[in-house]
Amino acid sequence: MTGDGFEMTGKVQISLRQFTVLVMFYSIGTTILVIPAALAATAKQNAWIAAFAGWLLSLIITALYVKLGSLFPRRSIVQYAALLTGGWIGKPISLLFIFYSFVGAATVLYYMGNFMTTQVMPETPIEAFIVLFAGLVVFGLRLGLEVLARTAEILFPWFVVLFVVLTIFLLPEIEMKNIRPVAEIAFKPILSGAISYISYSSLPLIVFFMIFPANLNRKREAGKAFLIGTLVGGIFVIIVTFLCISILGADFTERNMFPSYALAKKINIGNFVERVEILIAGIWFMTIFFKTVLYAYGFVAGLAHLFECEDYRPLVLPSGMILAASSLVVYPNVVYMLEFDSTVYVPFSFAIGLALPLLLLLVAGLIRKKRNH
Amino acid sequence: MIRMLSMLLCLSLFFMLLAGCWSRRELDELGISVGIGIDKAGKGYKVTTQVVSPGEIAAAKPSGNRAPVTVYEATGETVIEAIRKITTMSSRPIYLAHLRVLVIGEALAREGIHKPLDHFSRDHEVRTDYFVIVAKGTTASNVLKILTPIEKIPANNLYLSLDTSQKEWAPAATVTLDELISDIVSDGKNPALSAVKVVDKQIGQTQKNIEIIKPPGHLRFSGIAVFRDDKLIGFLNEKESKGYNYVTDNVKNTVGSMACPNGEKIAVEIMKSKTKVKAKMSNGNPRIEIKVSMEDNIGEVECQIDITKRETIAELEKIAERRVHDNIMNTVKKVQRDLKVDIFGFGEAMRMENPAAWNQLKQNWNERFSDLDVFVTADVKIRRIGTVANSFHKEGEE
Repeated sequence: MTGDGFEMTGKVQISLRQFTVLVMFYSIGTTILVIPAALAATAKQNAWIAAFAGWLLSLIITALYVKLGSLFPRRSIVQYAALLTGGWIGKPISLLFIFYSFVGAATVLYYMGNFMTTQVMPETPIEAFIVLFAGLVVFGLRLGLEVLARTAEILFPWFVVLFVVLTIFLLPEIEMKNIRPVAEIAFKPILSGAISYISYSSLPLIVFFMIFPANLNRKREAGKAFLIGTLVGGIFVIIVTFLCISILGADFTERNMFPSYALAKKINIGNFVERVEILIAGIWFMTIFFKTVLYAYGFVAGLAHLFECEDYRPLVLPSGMILAASSLVVYPNVVYMLEFDSTVYVPFSFAIGLALPLLLLLVAGLIRKKRNH
Repeated sequence: MIRMLSMLLCLSLFFMLLAGCWSRRELDELGISVGIGIDKAGKGYKVTTQVVSPGEIAAAKPSGNRAPVTVYEATGETVIEAIRKITTMSSRPIYLAHLRVLVIGEALAREGIHKPLDHFSRDHEVRTDYFVIVAKGTTASNVLKILTPIEKIPANNLYLSLDTSQKEWAPAATVTLDELISDIVSDGKNPALSAVKVVDKQIGQTQKNIEIIKPPGHLRFSGIAVFRDDKLIGFLNEKESKGYNYVTDNVKNTVGSMACPNGEKIAVEIMKSKTKVKAKMSNGNPRIEIKVSMEDNIGEVECQIDITKRETIAELEKIAERRVHDNIMNTVKKVQRDLKVDIFGFGEAMRMENPAAWNQLKQNWNERFSDLDVFVTADVKIRRIGTVANSFHKEGEE
């Protein structure tokens, strides 16, 4: 299962800084839109503590990923899954990973369309948003990883500016009484909040195994870049969760479909700077784009590696069409989405994002032990 | 040639984007609703909406013979049906993003408000930044039909007058929809909204009303409406409403008069006021401690005292403290005795201070509220006495 065909993975090189920004955007992704509601549902006024706990857990998971990645500096997960467990087991395992990326990309596309049709333009058919957004994703994928990485690098300062503006404008609205009593901490709700945090935000980071560390220019420091990306992304999510709880209150956050958008609606500086929520929504247009594009990258590049194609680009346009179409049917309605996300998605994410890499690590360890004997 | 054609084809794709937004709505196609009222009507609701007439508001030269706003009314089984039904009378769809006030008729408020309010929290167009008020002794529809002087848009008048009276006089409650909802769902606080009264509704509905120098028909805020969960159960008068605002720390600036040691009156302006509510458990019983600290200026002196003396100021501070103390105590006592609902958020205070005890107490909090031990301490500092020292009538007597 080795050969020159695999070397193509390493041809495209992105810098560590670009990788860090990509990881950061990806881990913020749709999390910023939905996680405050999910966390408030279980941990109430302590949602921000649950986000903090989830953030700590996500660092552990990233450390695990870094460990696995360091074993195979030149190959993608699809390649070494087959290498470690053989074609008969490895290829179905890779298919699972590819399926996960596919479902991820389709659901995130739906999220985008759902947000627009619920909050911004309800009369516009959801297809209009999904086709435009999927077109953007296809465009980005055809241009390749290097272009995407550079885009992330260019957009990063804009993201930070918008985020800082949001935070500063919201500071006067904070009411500390909303986060009290802090002492009412129970272990269970915090843990279940943290689990939903990592299943949205950090376990999907597994798609980076299509890039990490094979496509990075300095592989030795790649692990550090991965950790920093998750760390910084998590800080943004914690801040948004804190703002939601302290401004909207636990009850309103929990009941809201998109609490961070409701948060932006609260901005009112002297009856002058108000109704700017759609500008603030630019934050998640950026993060959702990178989340979609990386999921889709995991899908098409995974397929290309699985079938040992020279290049993934010919697969991009048809995959984009399939993604756009399936995003329309992936959830029949919003209630299904809410239920799927809080029940099925969590174990699904754990199976692919945690059990799969653990299994590969175990097999790699066994093989090494055997070799040493 | 093929290259050129494909280029043209690609370019023509851009026209799809350039054509603009799908869901665009131009300003001249919207009926901008600034006030909306909900009343009971049979099994459903009567929705009254005040829509601005842009020709009278925005034009450089308003015609003057048309009312600046128009009121549409429709009834429906649900609120959203009634709102949509308005289009059978109005030329434009009702646009709710610029709502200033939501008025609830007294009859509906007594039955419960959570059902009709759902639409306002669910619809994407409606924000949460308008005030919710109760029409006292009348319907919401009557409140929205009164024309007001100075502010051309009556709903704006309601909004601003509530806002200023809250800032300068403090007997009102400026409650927005999200605050109201969190009060309704909270176990430890019941909602309280401002109540508005209509005076002389016959003439108030005509343009003639605002041609008179003292318009006979007008709207007046009068005290606070008290709710149990989402049902109106009674009203506080102006003085009690002020007491309510002291407890909930909503007093920004107000004035109050008190008796001098020799019996006549002196008025102070409260410049700063800060209230802290502490909930404690003592011997297994909840106990509420309210601490008010205020900074006053002297605003009007009608009695014969020498306010240039330090002892006089100290004595006045004592009197002012007693006055605030009594006002708060009377309000709390009245609510405990007559209305029996915790509108002050004592339960919330308990939840924050002592979550474990609160979990025990919350089952029958409203019953417990009636015999809560409440202690008030007031601390008044008189800082300034205005631009003159002693009043001129003192000099006149000598």
